[in-house]
Amino acid sequence: MLASVRSILGIGAMALAVVTASSSIALAEKAKIGISIPAATHGWTGGLNYHTKRTVDALKKAYPDLEFVITTADSATKQVNDIEDLVAVQKINALVILPFESDPLTEPVKEAKKQGIFVTTVDRGLSEEGVEDLYVGGNNPEYGRIAAEYFKTKLKGKGKIVVMRGIPTAIDNIRIDAFKKALEGTSIQVLDMQYANWNPDKGFEVMQDYLQRFPQIDGVWAGDDDAALGAIEAINQAGRDKGMIVLGGSGMNKVIKRIMDGDKLVDADIFYPPTLIIPAIGATALKFATGAPAGGRWVLGSPLITKENAEQYYFPEAPY
Amino acid sequence: MCPTTIPSRIGRTLSTLAQSPAQVERQGMTLLRTNSIRKSFGPVEVLKEIDFAVSPGEVTALVGENGAGKSTLMKIIAGYEQPSSGHLLVDGSDIFFETNVDAEASGIVLVHQEFCLIPHLTVAENIFLGYEPTRRRALDYAAMEQRAALLLEELGSTIHPRMLLSKLAVSDWQMIEIAKALSRRPRLLIMDEPTAVLGHHETDRLFERVDRFRQDGGAVIFTSHKLDEVKRLADQTAILRDGRIVTVAPTGSLTEDEMASLMVGRPLSDLYPPKHPKPDQTSVLSVRELEVPGYVERASFDLRKGEILGFSGLVGSGRTELFEGLFGLRPARCKSFAYQGKGRPLPTPREAYQMGMAYLTEDRKGRGLLFEKSLGENLTLLKGALTGGTVIDIKAERAELDHAITTYEIRAPRPSARVGTLSGGNQQKLLIAKTLLAAPDVIVFDEPTRGIDIGTKQQIYRLIQSLAAAGKTCVVISSEMQEIIGLSHRVMIMRQGRIVGEVAGDTMTEDEIVRYAVGLKEAPIHV
Amino acid sequence: MSDTIAVPNKLPATSGRYRISDHLTSFGPLIALVALLIIGGLINESFLSSANISNVLTRSALIGIIAIGTTFVITAGGLDLSVGAMSALVAGLMIMFMNAVAATLGTGWLTVLVGILFALLLGTMAGLVNGLLITRWRIEAFIVTLGTMGIFRSLLTYLSNGGAISLESGLRSTARPIYYGTLLGIAYPILALAILAIIGEFVLWRTRFGRHCAAIGSNAAVAKYSAINVNRVRIATYILQGLCVAVATLIYVPRLGAATPSTGVLWELEAIAAVIIGGTVLSGGYGRIWGTIVGVLILGLIQNILNLTSWFSPHLNGSIQGAIIILAVLMQKGRAAR
Repeated sequence: MLASVRSILGIGAMALAVVTASSSIALAEKAKIGISIPAATHGWTGGLNYHTKRTVDALKKAYPDLEFVITTADSATKQVNDIEDLVAVQKINALVILPFESDPLTEPVKEAKKQGIFVTTVDRGLSEEGVEDLYVGGNNPEYGRIAAEYFKTKLKGKGKIVVMRGIPTAIDNIRIDAFKKALEGTSIQVLDMQYANWNPDKGFEVMQDYLQRFPQIDGVWAGDDDAALGAIEAINQAGRDKGMIVLGGSGMNKVIKRIMDGDKLVDADIFYPPTLIIPAIGATALKFATGAPAGGRWVLGSPLITKENAEQYYFPEAPY
Repeated sequence: MCPTTIPSRIGRTLSTLAQSPAQVERQGMTLLRTNSIRKSFGPVEVLKEIDFAVSPGEVTALVGENGAGKSTLMKIIAGYEQPSSGHLLVDGSDIFFETNVDAEASGIVLVHQEFCLIPHLTVAENIFLGYEPTRRRALDYAAMEQRAALLLEELGSTIHPRMLLSKLAVSDWQMIEIAKALSRRPRLLIMDEPTAVLGHHETDRLFERVDRFRQDGGAVIFTSHKLDEVKRLADQTAILRDGRIVTVAPTGSLTEDEMASLMVGRPLSDLYPPKHPKPDQTSVLSVRELEVPGYVERASFDLRKGEILGFSGLVGSGRTELFEGLFGLRPARCKSFAYQGKGRPLPTPREAYQMGMAYLTEDRKGRGLLFEKSLGENLTLLKGALTGGTVIDIKAERAELDHAITTYEIRAPRPSARVGTLSGGNQQKLLIAKTLLAAPDVIVFDEPTRGIDIGTKQQIYRLIQSLAAAGKTCVVISSEMQEIIGLSHRVMIMRQGRIVGEVAGDTMTEDEIVRYAVGLKEAPIHV
Repeated sequence: MSDTIAVPNKLPATSGRYRISDHLTSFGPLIALVALLIIGGLINESFLSSANISNVLTRSALIGIIAIGTTFVITAGGLDLSVGAMSALVAGLMIMFMNAVAATLGTGWLTVLVGILFALLLGTMAGLVNGLLITRWRIEAFIVTLGTMGIFRSLLTYLSNGGAISLESGLRSTARPIYYGTLLGIAYPILALAILAIIGEFVLWRTRFGRHCAAIGSNAAVAKYSAINVNRVRIATYILQGLCVAVATLIYVPRLGAATPSTGVLWELEAIAAVIIGGTVLSGGYGRIWGTIVGVLILGLIQNILNLTSWFSPHLNGSIQGAIIILAVLMQKGRAAR
């Protein structure tokens, strides 16, 4: 069942509101919740860290009996160490984890589960089914599909586009595969797919070289908004912004602002925000604090953001 | 030049099969013979038609000026170089050494003049480098240390096999190099200037060991500039001049003077130039109770203008450290220090040079010259650091180099050559040229003629005397007794970090100096 | 010494000339560069277009300017791993400073100028910190700069909250020409690189300071015994490196108008790789700026060529880059084997 983020956020917000209003509710139990997320190495993870901290601060105020431990990791190996520390040293009751990669993290998470810890996985799953209690994630195949649909619509089924891939990971593969699949049967030609690693500097360089190589480009899928910003600079420098469309992804506030302002180059975005950590942490915390039910798979949709609906996705204070 | 080949398994197997000297039954038969060996480096012919032979149980001395070709010949015999033409014959048969590993497999081992030791390793590890004994695939440290201890004991050395090389003195390094060579059980031991850094005591022990080696049937080729040692140790002497063997004769049939003349090709005038009388007694430098922690304590002396002050003592007595401390190259403190009559604190190296003091290090490879750089760059490094402008005047530099080459008669393949390619004597002359370029008033010469031939030595002696005559003040640190006596107006002797005596005039004899140096006599200066 | 034994002087008259054979092996990187240009031209006709070459040169200018400083540091026997992180921090602080100052001074050139001076000051201070830790406190350069690398990077992440620090749009437009502007058709970054490279080569080879750097890198003990103040020269090289980082950063900032957590990542390795490919000896004692520039260009061209073709899977980009780097260094083996 797809639940739109709006409603998830809404539920989460309502729950928080209810609870903060009546902060004298007796708690079901004291609990320690461990949160393991990737370090802020690029825009999206920067936003992730920001929203995590924000949520934890709010929950701490609302439920003084809940303890939270946040760890960040810049590699899968470090994250495995973090999990082991959380379980053995911190003795957590629940774990909210956004796995750096599925394979190396599956065993440590299973170990945690064996010790009776409540497991919530966010965004990426594990390589085995059924380990976690709660999964909150984005929809990567839909992400790629929506991107393809966007180009199909805008280019009316034919034209030449270039693609920039992200950091070589499973997520990137899923999105690209879905993208390619959705373009089958159309006359849209993908000229090349180089790696820009969701990075604005790389996006800039790769786009410069694409523009050199291909005299005709109708559109660019930059993979995400960071790389898109780099690509936009390159396009402007070369003076080839007329007739060019750029699509990023993930809902960065700067890009959304441009959409709201009616930018000619960028008029759409794909929703895949780092705010999906909020309901994950929130639901887990509420389970311990109020006994609210938490479990199952909550997959958030990745709708297309356009000028019409941009406003509801705009968070100007966040770093992403 | 350090060997860069690590012996393979095959090499190692072969070397263990090499005969130990005692097993050689072919006494009297020639061990090694060179047959019309020639060697050229590009257009330069360094060795021309070398013919000579070495027998087991025989010690041969190779004598000649710097650049005469001794090192090259020894390297060819030991397999580090190949002859351009001609043959080597070992035990009567033609043999070709592609690398030193092959030569070592035939029982020929070379002890280098420039050490091939690794400071970070221990004595035992260095001795067995490349030939480490193993037990069940792991290094057998017990065996290594035991064998190393045995080898060192035979050399009369008290060095502990587990000591780190970086903590030992230069003379110890030489003994370890020799032990390393002997560990390979050679039939022919080749030594390049083995006594250059050794004191009397160690030299005696080494000669004893060589004697035993000779009695066991081993053969030795060595070079030395100390002709008295050649007379003492060698059975036969081969004299090289300009790449040719001028004479091969039983050592007894040649006097030292004859040897020197043959080396140089013309009769020798007196080795030591006449001493210039001291002009006056003004104190140029005076220091009281200088202490260099760990090396020197309570040293006090005065330097008087125009004199040549000798500093004698056993190796390790602290002479080098005293002056390094005085020049700010080492941590030091003193009760008082005065230069040109004015009291002041001990200077930093830069201040010392700027005041007109200069120190010529005994370690020209490690602290004196940049071996990888050209002559010109080395020559002007000191002066440039003191008085040079921001931008380097290339033309002026070339002029300085030309002048220095002519004045000091420095021989180099070309002016842009790297200092590392020069012979030891020419390197030393360059170092002297570099130091004197800064026009100092007080110059401390630390072992100025170490590893240098007679001809060049004389040049340097004259230089020192002419400096004194011009009103400069010189200090000469030397381990060669004759040299110190021949040069100095007076001599201070150090022992174990303290100045224990002073001799001049009638008391300036080798006997007296040795007494102070070994501790039989003591008359510390009270100033 | 004229009355000593006359030793015939066999020395030829001093010529001032290089012997070409001494230096043949040192042209290795240049050969590699030319080879890359040929390969690129064959692969794609737009490779040799002025627009593409200008792009590559401009992009390379950033690493190039940093690598000039790196050449000095390595020649004097040191190492600086913190340059990438330093660049990110300088960029972030510079932007924040300019944004703050814009309130009083406006969004014109005055603010930008003040921002530039601030960046140069930051670079100097960062270099001084590195230099002092290494010389006064005698800590290995590798360790010190590894530490400052971590400190600089995490400071930037803290200040930016993991996101980007962006220039106000008014300042952005004013500063834009620094990266994108041209003089007589040549982009400013390229001009800056060329000028700094020429100055750098002159300083390294024709001034006392450059000579002292090489002496210290060759044998620090000999330098000390030759009255050179070793510590002072070493600190100077790190400050020089910091200044180069600052200059590169102030050129970089107008490109995207922001500092992000991925700014400067791996720049230190690229700079060091360029310096080594160019012929400077990693253990110190010999350095050349022109070689460094060639090294930087080689790295930039490899990236460009790989982007211009679809022959290889993009996953293999790293392997190809690594292989070419090893080849370029192998060609210098003649020199290294001495």
